[in-house]
Parts: sequence; structure tokens; C-alpha cells
Amino acid sequence: MKLKKILNDQRVVLTLLTIGLFIFFGLRNSAFFNVDFVIYPLLRDGATLTVIGLAQLCVLSIGHLNLAVGRMAAVSALVAGASYQYWGLTLVQGAILGVLAGALLGAITGWIIVKSQVNAFIVTLAMDFALLGLVTFIYVTFTGATAAFTTKPAGMDYWRSKSLKDFCVAGICGPKSIPMMLLPAIICLILVSFMFSRTRLGRELLSTGSNLRAAKLSGIPVENRVMTAHIFSGTLAGIGGLMLAYANGSFTAAIGSQVMLPSFLGPVLGGTLLAGGAVAVLGTFIGTMMTLVIRQGLSVQGIGLETLNIALGLVLLLALSVGQIQKMFTSIKLRGKK
Amino acid sequence: MSAELLINKVSKEFPGVLALNEVNLTLTGGTVHALLGENGAGKSTLIKIITGIYLADSGSLKVSGQEKRFHNPIESTHAGIAVVHQERNLIPEFSVEENITLHNPPLKLGIINRKERTRLAKQALETLGFEIDLNERVKNLSVAQMQLVEIAKALVTNAKIILLDEPTASITGSETSKLFDVIKRLKSQGTAILFVSHKLEEVYEICDTVTVLRDGVSVLESKSLADYKQGEIVDLMVGRHLAERKNIIRKVDRKATPVIELKNLQTSLGHRNISLSLYPGEVLGMYGLVGAGRSELARSILGLHAITGGEILVNGSVVKIRNFTEALHNYRIGYVTENRKEEGLFLDFPVRKNISVTILAKILQRLSVINPKKEDDIATKYVDRLGIKVVDNNQLALTLSGGNQQKVSVSKWLAAETKILIIDEPTVGVDVRTKASFHELITELANEGLSIILISSDLAEMVAVADRILVMRRYEIVGDLDNSKDYQNMSRSIMNSIQAV
Repeated sequence: MKLKKILNDQRVVLTLLTIGLFIFFGLRNSAFFNVDFVIYPLLRDGATLTVIGLAQLCVLSIGHLNLAVGRMAAVSALVAGASYQYWGLTLVQGAILGVLAGALLGAITGWIIVKSQVNAFIVTLAMDFALLGLVTFIYVTFTGATAAFTTKPAGMDYWRSKSLKDFCVAGICGPKSIPMMLLPAIICLILVSFMFSRTRLGRELLSTGSNLRAAKLSGIPVENRVMTAHIFSGTLAGIGGLMLAYANGSFTAAIGSQVMLPSFLGPVLGGTLLAGGAVAVLGTFIGTMMTLVIRQGLSVQGIGLETLNIALGLVLLLALSVGQIQKMFTSIKLRGKK
Repeated sequence: MSAELLINKVSKEFPGVLALNEVNLTLTGGTVHALLGENGAGKSTLIKIITGIYLADSGSLKVSGQEKRFHNPIESTHAGIAVVHQERNLIPEFSVEENITLHNPPLKLGIINRKERTRLAKQALETLGFEIDLNERVKNLSVAQMQLVEIAKALVTNAKIILLDEPTASITGSETSKLFDVIKRLKSQGTAILFVSHKLEEVYEICDTVTVLRDGVSVLESKSLADYKQGEIVDLMVGRHLAERKNIIRKVDRKATPVIELKNLQTSLGHRNISLSLYPGEVLGMYGLVGAGRSELARSILGLHAITGGEILVNGSVVKIRNFTEALHNYRIGYVTENRKEEGLFLDFPVRKNISVTILAKILQRLSVINPKKEDDIATKYVDRLGIKVVDNNQLALTLSGGNQQKVSVSKWLAAETKILIIDEPTVGVDVRTKASFHELITELANEGLSIILISSDLAEMVAVADRILVMRRYEIVGDLDNSKDYQNMSRSIMNSIQAV
């Protein structure tokens, strides 16, 4: 009975599925177990995408979505990049500036949504276009249409290439497969999870997402909460953008252009409701890792890009239907009993 | 007369519950048959079987002598059965006209014939004597107007059998009497009508025969209603003798400073010259017909709609309330909405979180973390006090019955320890026993010092609970009556003040 309860938890199912897939791909092709070329980059990408997934999750909690999440990440990265190159800021100073830029973009988005009463889908879509222009503007102005900001502040490579193996306490070092980049992701996971599950702010956000009118009529300041959610989203997108830039080793305009759809996959696979009112923070990490394992696993098998996308689509559809499939089985069982 | 609809030993089981146990029901053409029972007795389940939403596990269903088995609502509609369900079944984004003709839109060469559609919808609404713009979207209507559209939708099908599940739940006196005229006419045309209602006064006014359900069993089957007294019927429904409520006239100090006072208030919605005073510990009733502007007034006071003139005073000083957050935290005013599902509850949240939503600030520990024990204790306190039937505080609000949901919706305001509570139609669709306990609760709260504005379209409820009754008509107050708690007298004076102006 207890086992059954554990198996009913979507997160457990997802984790088992991810590990199963990982072993399956590894057994098919042992190159998949390579630490340097597969596991380390996989976890590093996972860390970045998780943070961007959390950016999406924050607005999903109130039933909104943020289509500009990738572009917000890009602006943050470019602001940081410019600050390193032209203002000579340190790694941390530039990072703070970049994240603040993300938060500001989130605040502007939230403000527009509250004041204009226009659907978040439309506002963030418009925001995405506007930021695309801004991104181009920033790098054309500063770099003269060459490529990107290339100045690397001291310490950037540490985040890019070091692992827990370089992190030793009393002579004991961690495994080489765990990238340092996972650290900020874990901190974000803990903070976001704490906020939603324990604090007043989290409860107010979820109430707003569960039933906006009821929240309003119960005295929750829903307009402020809409703002809060978008500020969090922008902030996390900013952190994600910096992580992307550090992982790439350069601050290009193309950062974040591929993350908008994946930003939904993690939270939704994990069990976050698109309609708002329920979030799955840890699930976001597991969901993100699963999509990456599938993608990486299939590509190690040498499957072409087209086939890979078809297969990925099918697996995701299946994974997202887990809940429905479970329900189907329970109802068949019930009927069988009678 | 022949039996239009014959239900014989129908049973229906849901996981863990036997909702209907060999129930019998006979509907005869030209009669109005009352189906009575408490919430959860199986009335709605039975109606859903007749209309093909559920399939019976056993038993038979005959329409005009023919054995039928409906697998979906379309089959039932084609067999000549029309229904007004308890829950709304309208499409909010569609117009009134489109909704009324939804089941069977008039076609011309496979395309909807708009002229004919307008004619049909107009005709149905005219028989109800209900004026409304046919092109208005349903989402802009009030609850009562929606109910009337729902009834019009059933009328337009020219059915032989009409099932009305609480058709009068959210409409008031004059609409009800128009509906009854329509029912009488349909009856004289030989239609068989099933009437479900918690308002026994209405049942006695319109129904000929009666079936009573209790816990899924028909304890009284197709008997003549005239042979039973109201008390006997209630006893059959409840399964025990329900004590009659005593009507005590409460003392309210009207020399004290009013907790809330409106002076010549005007709103952007069209309220004019609204002046009223609510005294400490008073239950002030607000009665009026549909569209009189009562809920709208309450919501305007709380900042949802703009105030364009006049003053609001709380405890003697002029205030400006901009939103519900200010109303709650600065002035301790709460509002129990009439749409509990849409506006009152977080259906996918547990009872615990539904109750604590107004008091999050008071149950915090360090780092703005919600103290789970305090939250649970407060939830338990109000679950016990109001007798909310739950497995535990973590049961989802979604899974509670209507009466219990309403209690949860009230609990959050009691937990917030508000000084002023505006309660909007608290007992719509709530059964006799729960209704009585609500009336007791309101009186009890007022005795403890809470000042209450009670908005209700249920005249009996008004007379039973309010200390003073304001009558509203077309966004104006047209009457201010001390309640003598004598139903006959009061209902007459109230109706007079509505018609007088």
C-alpha cells in the first residue's frame, strides 16, 4: 500500500523513468556513460534549463506564461557582458547588474499586464519581439555588429569547466561528473521551493493562480502578486541567461533563443498546472533532466535530427499522459472488481 | 391520464456510495410532480439518469410506455425530455439567443436561420415575461438572469416532459410567479412536469403529486401532495422530527454609532441616493427583485465598482475603500459571495487553505513562513464550530457538498474576525436542515456582536433572520421595514413597497 502511494507520486515515476532511460541508452552505447563528453555537459545544461524552467514556473503559478523568458535571459547576459567589457566590472558585480536587468524586465512586463488588463500571453509575446530588437540594438551599439562581448571576467571559467572534483573539503573531493554550475541551480530550487511551499507570498501566488476572483474577494492583493510573479520570472530568467553565457564562454546575442519551449517542458512534466494554482519545483528539475537524457541519448545513438525530434515529441506526449494513463488503469481495475 | 415517464426500481452505484436504491417515480401528463429530499438524497442523480448523463445500473425507464435507455443527453432530448439543471449549463461567450436555441438551432439548408432563431428565443422569453437583450452575452448576465435563460432554453424544445431542478433557486418573487404561470399553462397542455425545490412553500403552491427521496430510497412514492402537511414532508425528508425555529425579536441599539453608514451614495453602476445605517450586532436584510442592484451595491462599497457621489462612514468616520484588501485589513469588512464556486472557494485547495486565506498575516512565524500548526488549529476550530462535514482539514473543497462548501466560504470571514459581514444569498441550493443551521448561525453571530448585511431573495429567510429589512428596486432603496417576524404581514408590506413607487 505504501509502495503504491510512492509510485503514485509523479516525481518518483519521472525519476525512475529518467534513470531507466539513462541506463537504457548507456547499455545500448557505452559512450553515453562518458563523464567528460556526456554526463558533465548534460548536468550543466540541466542546471541552466532548470533555472529557466523555474522562471517559467513562477508565472505558471498564477496561471500566466512568459514567452519572453529566453529573450529576458539574453538581455541579462548582454548587460553583464557589456559591463565586463566596457565598464570593467568584476564577475560578481556584472552578474548582479545582469540579474537586476532581468528583474526590471519582469517588473515592466508585470506592470503592463496589470495596468492594461491584457492577457499575459499577448504581453509577453510582444515583449519577446521588443526585446529581440533591444538585444540587437545592444550588441550593434557596443560591438559594431561583429559578434559578441568577448571579455571574460576573472573566475568565469571556474563556473564553466570546474566540477566538484575541484571542490575539496579536508582532502576529500567530489565526483568529477557534477559541474559547479549545478550549485546556483540547487540554490534556486531550494529558494523557490521554500517560497511556494512554506511562505505567505507563495500561498498568495498560488491562491491567485487557483482562482483569481476568489483571491481578490478574499482580500489578497492580486495585482501586486501578478507583479511579484513576473519579477521573479525575470530575475530567474536573468540568472539562467548568465549561466548560459558562462557555460558558452561568450556573451552572444543568440543566448536564450532556444529555451522558450523547453522552459515549459520541465515544469509541466514535473506536474505544474498550466492553469495555475499548483507548482512542482523539484519536478521541474527532474522533468528537465528527462528531456535532456532523451535528447542526448537519442543523438548518441546516431539518430538524425528529424527522427530525433519525432521521437522526442512522442516520448514527451507519453510522459505527459502518465497521469491520464494511470487514471485509465484505475478505472479498469475498478470495473474489474465489480 | 397516462404515465408519460415511468421509472421502476432504478439503482445507481458510485464507488463507495449507493446513490439510488430501487427508486420508483411516475410522471403523468398534465400534473406537476414534486421530487423532494435533502442535499445528497439522490435527486440530481435521478434527474441525470432520466436525461442520459448517467446510465442506471439496474431498473427500467419508460417514456410514453416505451422502454428506453439513454446513453447521452441527446437521446433523452429526442425522446421529448427537457431539463433545467441545478448547475448552469450555458455557454458564457454565446449570446442569450444562441444559448436558448443551442440544442436544436433552426436550420435552413444546413445553415442556422437567424431570423427563426430570434423568433424562437423571443417567444420563449416572452412566455416568461422576461425582458433581456437577445444579443447580450450570457457571461454578462446576473445569476438570476442566467437561470431564466436556462428555463427559456427548456421551454423552446416543446418537450412532453420537463424536469426543473431547483428552477427558483436564485430568482425572486415576481419571476417565480411568472414561471408558475408558465408551468400552469404547460400543465393544462398536458405536459408532465417534475419540480425539484428546497422551498416547500413553492412546492405546495404549484405541485400536485410528490415523491420523497432519502439516502437514495424513495420513502414516499407518487402520492397526492394535498394529503400531507408540510411538517410531515420535512420529517420524511430528514428522517426525524425537525424542531420548529422560534422567531424571537432581537434587541438592537439604534442609538449607537452605526458601524457602517451610507449617505446619498451614488455609483458608476447607477445606484442613486442610497442611504442606510447598519448598527452594531444588527442583521440588516436587503430584499429586492432580480437586478435591483443589491450585490452590486455591496461590491461597490468594497471598492469593486466606482463610487461617484455621497459618503461611506465606518464607525462614524468617512472612509474610502479601494479594494477588498483594504476592506478586510483596514475596516474589518468581509463579503460572503453568492457564487461560492466561482468566487468563494479555491476548489482545488484543501479546506485548511480555504479557511486560512484571509488570516495569513496572523499565522506567520519567522521569515514570513506560514505556521502549519496554527493554520490547522484555526481550520479545525471553524470546521467544528460550523459543523462542516470533512474527513480532515486536507480534504479538497471540490469534494464537499454545496452546503459544506458554503460553510467553508463563511468560515474564512469568521476566522478573520471581521466586524461587519455582508452575506450574499447564503442558502441558495442548500437543503432544509443546513438552511436552518445557517439561520441559527447568523443570529448567533449577531448576538456575539457581528454586524451583518444579509442579501437574500428568499422572503421566508428574510423574515426569519433579519432585524430590519431594506427593500431595493432598480438601484434605489424603496422601503425600510422593522421586521415583526410575522411572515404574512411582512411579505405583504415588502411586496407593497416594491410595487408602490
